[in-house]
Amino acid sequence: MKGRIIARRFGLIAVLAAALAIAASAGASVSAPDRAAATTVTVWLQTDAQADNWAPIVAAANAQFQQTHPGVTVDVQYQTWGTHLQKFDATLAGGSSPDVIEMGNTEMTKYMAAGAFQDLSSDRASFPNASTWLKGLAASGTYNGHLFGVPYYAGSRVVTYRTDLFKQAGIKVPATLAEFTSDAKTLATKFGSKKGFSPVYIAGTDWYIAMSFVYDYGGSIAKTSGGKWVGNLTSAKSLAGLAAYKAFFDAASRASKTTDETRPNPYDVYAQGLAASMIGPAWFTCCVGKKYTTSTGQFVMPSHTPGQVMPGFLGGSDLAVPIGADKALAVDWIKAYTSTQAEKALEAIGNIPNTTSLFNPTKVNEKAASRSWFVPTSKNWVNVENENILRNMLAQILTGKLTIKQAAIAASDTISSILNAK
Amino acid sequence: MTGLPVESPTVAAESLEARRRPLTRGRALRASVPYALILPVAAAIGAILGYPLYNLVKLSFERYGLFELIQHRGHWIGLHNYGSVLHDHVFWATVLRTVVFTAVNVGLTIVLGTLIALLLVRVSTWVRILLTSGLVLVWSMPAVVAVQLWYWMTNFQNGVVNYVLGLGQHDWYASPTSQLGMVTTLIVWAAIPFVVVTVYAGLAQVPAELVEAAEIDGARPFRIFRDVTFPILKPILLILTSLSIIWDFGVFTQPYLLIGDAHVNSSNFLMGIYLFKEAYRTSDFGRGAAISVLMIGMVAVLSVFYVRKMLKLGDSE
Repeated sequence: MKGRIIARRFGLIAVLAAALAIAASAGASVSAPDRAAATTVTVWLQTDAQADNWAPIVAAANAQFQQTHPGVTVDVQYQTWGTHLQKFDATLAGGSSPDVIEMGNTEMTKYMAAGAFQDLSSDRASFPNASTWLKGLAASGTYNGHLFGVPYYAGSRVVTYRTDLFKQAGIKVPATLAEFTSDAKTLATKFGSKKGFSPVYIAGTDWYIAMSFVYDYGGSIAKTSGGKWVGNLTSAKSLAGLAAYKAFFDAASRASKTTDETRPNPYDVYAQGLAASMIGPAWFTCCVGKKYTTSTGQFVMPSHTPGQVMPGFLGGSDLAVPIGADKALAVDWIKAYTSTQAEKALEAIGNIPNTTSLFNPTKVNEKAASRSWFVPTSKNWVNVENENILRNMLAQILTGKLTIKQAAIAASDTISSILNAK
Repeated sequence: MTGLPVESPTVAAESLEARRRPLTRGRALRASVPYALILPVAAAIGAILGYPLYNLVKLSFERYGLFELIQHRGHWIGLHNYGSVLHDHVFWATVLRTVVFTAVNVGLTIVLGTLIALLLVRVSTWVRILLTSGLVLVWSMPAVVAVQLWYWMTNFQNGVVNYVLGLGQHDWYASPTSQLGMVTTLIVWAAIPFVVVTVYAGLAQVPAELVEAAEIDGARPFRIFRDVTFPILKPILLILTSLSIIWDFGVFTQPYLLIGDAHVNSSNFLMGIYLFKEAYRTSDFGRGAAISVLMIGMVAVLSVFYVRKMLKLGDSE
């Protein structure tokens, strides 16, 4: 019976599929090919840089690089945040890593600690604006005093809002969190009859926003004590921050309590006219929909302390040179792509440049960056993100499955053990 | 046969016979043909499955993280990976969850599939054609596409399911149970066609006279199914069940994509996802390998049952 043979073969395949997958990635031990005669520089950037307003900046850097290196082609390959690390792992195993890779600032420590990158310390002074690099971003690319990642750009989170709806509801840009909360209630009564309408759209498990509340109330995710990491979400200040997040979410957002900020994208909800405002990266203005481009503004998320801004997560990217890559060419390309001219162009499309010398405090995203927080700098931090510890905790808190304290204790314990793992 | 072959007259006679028929070249060649025929298969299996499997087992005894990956060199640590996995409560919770998940999925798949196959026998030709085409369409739908459709239909913001049912904004992914419930509907939906088509083919083997005779004897439909149809279908159902268990136990694509990377965590892990997270996301390839070896062990136990059933069936034919 043919069907039976096929069936049996399928059985075997199912049994061994996982085996093959693992062995294929880690079993291969091909030595790195000799790159001495490289005529191609391979660069991995995130797909963000493919956007219409971003691509010219990449093209200009390539042209500038090729002026000094005629005959060398630049092969820019675009990656997504969700999968680029697994692909990078595979190239590390196979010895075919790119020459330059864009890394998220929270991803750097794990790879620097494992020795995935070449030490750029000796070239540091030769990078454009190295003396005025954004401190937080430069720190994310430094490990044990050595430079492994060149600051590329940073981004802060701001409130993008519908100026027309705020006007109709008779409210102004809020100066404090309490004011913003009462504004949200006003907006809810005025426009709440529209099904699924959020005064402030926040995805329930958007931990970047939730942790901003924690840091605003003086709490933190984890701290070091005696050379060890200790989860700190259970501290009184952190709990107060979590409680403030829950209160604000309940008052302001009609988003799913268990979803994340990519399902759906907040700007899609906004573009459908279902949000009076949303919190997220400053570049959210890109996609608010034609109908609302002229009636969209931005302001800095206010703190619960009057007169201050809420500390925002300082996201950002570094450019690193993996081992086995042609360092000289890679460094020259990075110099071209992080030149003052390139950084100015990056700033013009809504990013925070890598150097304080270009800072413009009238820009809302740079004002928001005046108070910021960053994740614990443990090489294991990325595993806390991967296992969705904070998202799970937020879902438990918002759905009321656990009390804030119960959820925080469970998450904090897990975070301690992950961060301290060898 | 006796215990002492040397003194046994039968054995002595046999060996005498063998001596009388000398091993000619032709005979030896003919005897080796079956082995020569399976040689390519054995070599292919050895190269494609054997070598990676050897590497996997070796990896499971090594400390092999990102650092070792870059150095291309693991460190032998004996049974440490296995110890750490077996002492991990997440592993045991995941095993238990996966077993329950598999039982529910396989049960629903087989029961619903059989019911639809029985229905298929009874309906008119054009309904049967329509139904079969529908089933084949479901069958041919790639899992990734199906996940997208499922999520589109059930999403919180503007899912069509909520709209049709008038539920307002119901969150179909609010708890681990409901997340896995949604995965179950997707998997069962996609798995039913195979069961229906196979069982329907099996139903053709049920002799009409037997059913008629039972009807004349006054048996009700359920009785006929239990005492006439089911015994004939039993071997097919057993094979379908074992196969479904093997598939559902290691399922990855549907739960990973439908629940979403940002929401898979220790409260909703299935084995495939747990393995993926530990090996690839945490970059602990040694520990991941140990989990896969344990998982292969579990599926192998199930496969033994399946293979035995297959061999038995082969004998009886």
